[in-house]
Amino acid sequence: MKRSELISRILIIVAIVGAIGAPLYIWARTSLIHAKVAEDGGWNPDIIHANAGEPLTLHLTSDDVVHGFAVGQMDMQSVDVLPGKVTDLTLTFDKPGIYTFFCTRWCGLNHWRMRGTIEVSGPSSTPEPVSPPLYVSLGLDIDAPHSLPVVPAQKPSAIRGQQFSTNLPISQAADYYRTHSPFQIFDELSNTSLTESQRWDVVAYIWRLNTTKESLANGQKLFAQNCAACHGEKGAGNGVFADKVAGNFGKGMSNTSNGRPVDFTDAKRMLGASPALLQGKILRGGMGTGMPSWGSIFTEEQIWDLIAYLYSFQFEYHQ
Amino acid sequence: MSKIELTRNPVIKNALKNRYPQLTVFIVMLVGYIFAIFSGLIGTPVGSRNFGIVFVWIAWWAILILVAVPFFGRGWCAVCPIPLPGEWLQRGAVLSPPDKKPKWLNLRWPKFMRNIWLQNISFLLLALFSSVLLTTPNITGIVLAAMLFAAIGLSTIFERRSFCRYLCPVGGFIGLYSQVAPIELRVKDKQTCVTCVGKPCYNGNENGYGCSWDVFPGGLTKNTYCGLCMECIRTCPHDNIAINLRPFSADLAKPSTRIDEAFKAFIMLGSAMIYAGVLLGPWGAFKDAAYHVGTSAWFIYAIIFLAIIFVILPGLFTLGILKSKSIFPLKQRFASLATALIPLGLMFWVAFSLSFVLTNASYILASLSDPLGLGWNLFGTANVAWRPMLMAILAPAQILALVGGLIWSARTAQKAANEIRTSSIPIVTFCFIVTSVMLWLLL
Amino acid sequence: MAFAPLPVQYIAPQERTFRIEARQFAYSPSELKVNSGDMVTIQLVSTDVVHGLYVDGYDVSVEADPGQTATLTFVADKSGSFRFRCNVTCGAMHPFMIGKLTVGSNNWFLRSIGLAALAIAGVIISTKQKA
Repeated sequence: MKRSELISRILIIVAIVGAIGAPLYIWARTSLIHAKVAEDGGWNPDIIHANAGEPLTLHLTSDDVVHGFAVGQMDMQSVDVLPGKVTDLTLTFDKPGIYTFFCTRWCGLNHWRMRGTIEVSGPSSTPEPVSPPLYVSLGLDIDAPHSLPVVPAQKPSAIRGQQFSTNLPISQAADYYRTHSPFQIFDELSNTSLTESQRWDVVAYIWRLNTTKESLANGQKLFAQNCAACHGEKGAGNGVFADKVAGNFGKGMSNTSNGRPVDFTDAKRMLGASPALLQGKILRGGMGTGMPSWGSIFTEEQIWDLIAYLYSFQFEYHQ
Repeated sequence: MSKIELTRNPVIKNALKNRYPQLTVFIVMLVGYIFAIFSGLIGTPVGSRNFGIVFVWIAWWAILILVAVPFFGRGWCAVCPIPLPGEWLQRGAVLSPPDKKPKWLNLRWPKFMRNIWLQNISFLLLALFSSVLLTTPNITGIVLAAMLFAAIGLSTIFERRSFCRYLCPVGGFIGLYSQVAPIELRVKDKQTCVTCVGKPCYNGNENGYGCSWDVFPGGLTKNTYCGLCMECIRTCPHDNIAINLRPFSADLAKPSTRIDEAFKAFIMLGSAMIYAGVLLGPWGAFKDAAYHVGTSAWFIYAIIFLAIIFVILPGLFTLGILKSKSIFPLKQRFASLATALIPLGLMFWVAFSLSFVLTNASYILASLSDPLGLGWNLFGTANVAWRPMLMAILAPAQILALVGGLIWSARTAQKAANEIRTSSIPIVTFCFIVTSVMLWLLL
Repeated sequence: MAFAPLPVQYIAPQERTFRIEARQFAYSPSELKVNSGDMVTIQLVSTDVVHGLYVDGYDVSVEADPGQTATLTFVADKSGSFRFRCNVTCGAMHPFMIGKLTVGSNNWFLRSIGLAALAIAGVIISTKQKA
């Protein structure tokens, strides 16, 4: 054939192979972690391996909607994982173990199921002893009904309660607060001369003593990001997923649930729950209901902050 | 205003006759096309960040419907990469004809399919699945690959560019609308063709191949089926073929009486209106129906879609023309008066396309830098934020296109009606009604 | 005709609040009507994934996660019809997630109909004259 024909053919083949081969090669060597909504498979891969002390670089991308990424039980700022874009993140783990990573931006009914693990290997150290959560050491049945026979007539106020409690021998220990429900303390106060309403106010005051403005603010933020979608922005159990949760999961093995997200504005239930009980529910999740288990996600401090915020639906803390 | 022969200019003529400029453009287009297929198949599934979706349905579509078709007629066909691998195989060369021609079947396309009905159907198939096609990269990749393989396969069985002429979904409407473009390829002097021996423009010679589009250049009076491949300019021994600049829609002065083309006009008019309503409207239920292919909602949507195109619009049109008396049969009047819908349909598509192109053009820059969504930044534009462009001129531009199209169609209707000695008023009224609906849907 | 001033009724500006639920791939309500000059507040409630709301012509936007209603406030000082659309990639049909805000009267549409009618009247008259 003519030389021009030969050169042209070579040019065509080179152009095609080059324009396809080069990107294909780079694509094959790129390892991305793909985020998809849980219904379509969640994280892929969902098990990552790392070595303790060595930086781990992750390249995260979303294949559908806006997701986020954070590692549980670590104080880290979450990063957004955006559709069609790549987010680079470098983490270093000091201690070997299995860490849970999770999606931090609501991406559907099963958002909380979008989790994976990072297996960090390293020189094996003696396993750290873990103390059981309060509800376990107290022997508390967190699935037992805990409704009140009677509720306060008005919203208990910590400001009023402070005045009434000046002469009362109330323990300010965190342990006391954590192991008692508001109703139990209200009950214990029945041997004083206070009216029922005043006693509730004192209970509100005790609750306020066990929290700070910072922890309330933190709890509010955690609630908005993690809980409000089901439990409602005002805690009334009417979040945007409330109906779907009820429809999809039902009451499971719970004795106290009707399948709907709990209404934190319901005084009958909330005031009968101790912080330890709430911690148990949050850690463990809902036994077949739509309530996620947060044990591997939140630190203990985060859970107490969240619980402090939950009670603020029942108590008036500040002016 | 009459014609200006562009090929009288030696620079233009040589650029068109010489195979190297054309081959260069071909290589660029083919590489881009194959890369688009790859992007679709292995790139990010997120449409707005995938080269395949952005460069086919935003960039290429914008250039096609806003520039190529209105101003260059079948100009896209002149550079389209889809027929190339098959054609090179069929011809046995990428440049001039080889000494030894390869033995492919080269069958004639079957007579009963020598019309644009297959193209009407292939366009409608894409249209009914468009919500999924336009937004899902791997589907786009598969469809692009399918067209490429179909073209290659057909080239090994049939003669010439059979895919392009009889199957390509895009070619159907490019051909119809090319009649309004100000560019044409025609012979200079018909008498020269009468005495020409061998008709190499159609049969080929050592300088080039016979018309890839199965058209006899000597008999070309309209743009509809000439794909501007330039072979006839290379082969004509009498230098009798020219590319001319001419007034817009000159071809519509001789209305076609083909039913397949008439229905194509209705298909395009109707689908533009449906897209404007479903894709650009605020009615979520329609979008759900259009997207969830295979559900009963989608079947209802498909039936309504087809009813609008094949029953409601042509039905209303026919009712209008039934009233006016004429000596010509209804079928002929229908087809020839439907010519008036050609400029209107094109302007409907221009107005509709302007909206989503201006809204989403910013994706083009991002997708140039990160075509596969792997986190690249080849040109530094990967993180350009989405921002609609030129929105202030969108409404005026759409009005200009639609009202301009209406006037254009009305004048076309007048001329077509005069030819067959009937009233143009029903057509003009029909055009006014559909244009008002389109204005309401878009504005 | 395209630029002729339209007779406009003066209605005192008010504060208007709309609660819009966003889902894949539609807003509810998807059509809003206010008067020119109104102070418009949109509370965007996402019900499945993160969505945004961007108003064409006004170039203002807001983004909401499910569980966190976001608020957008602006003064509707431009009249006409404006599409609002999702500006946070939320799935396949994201580019077509669209609603419509009408401030006052849809001027461009009304003018265009007038223009079209005029054009057609002109064409029909010239047809009749020739006949």
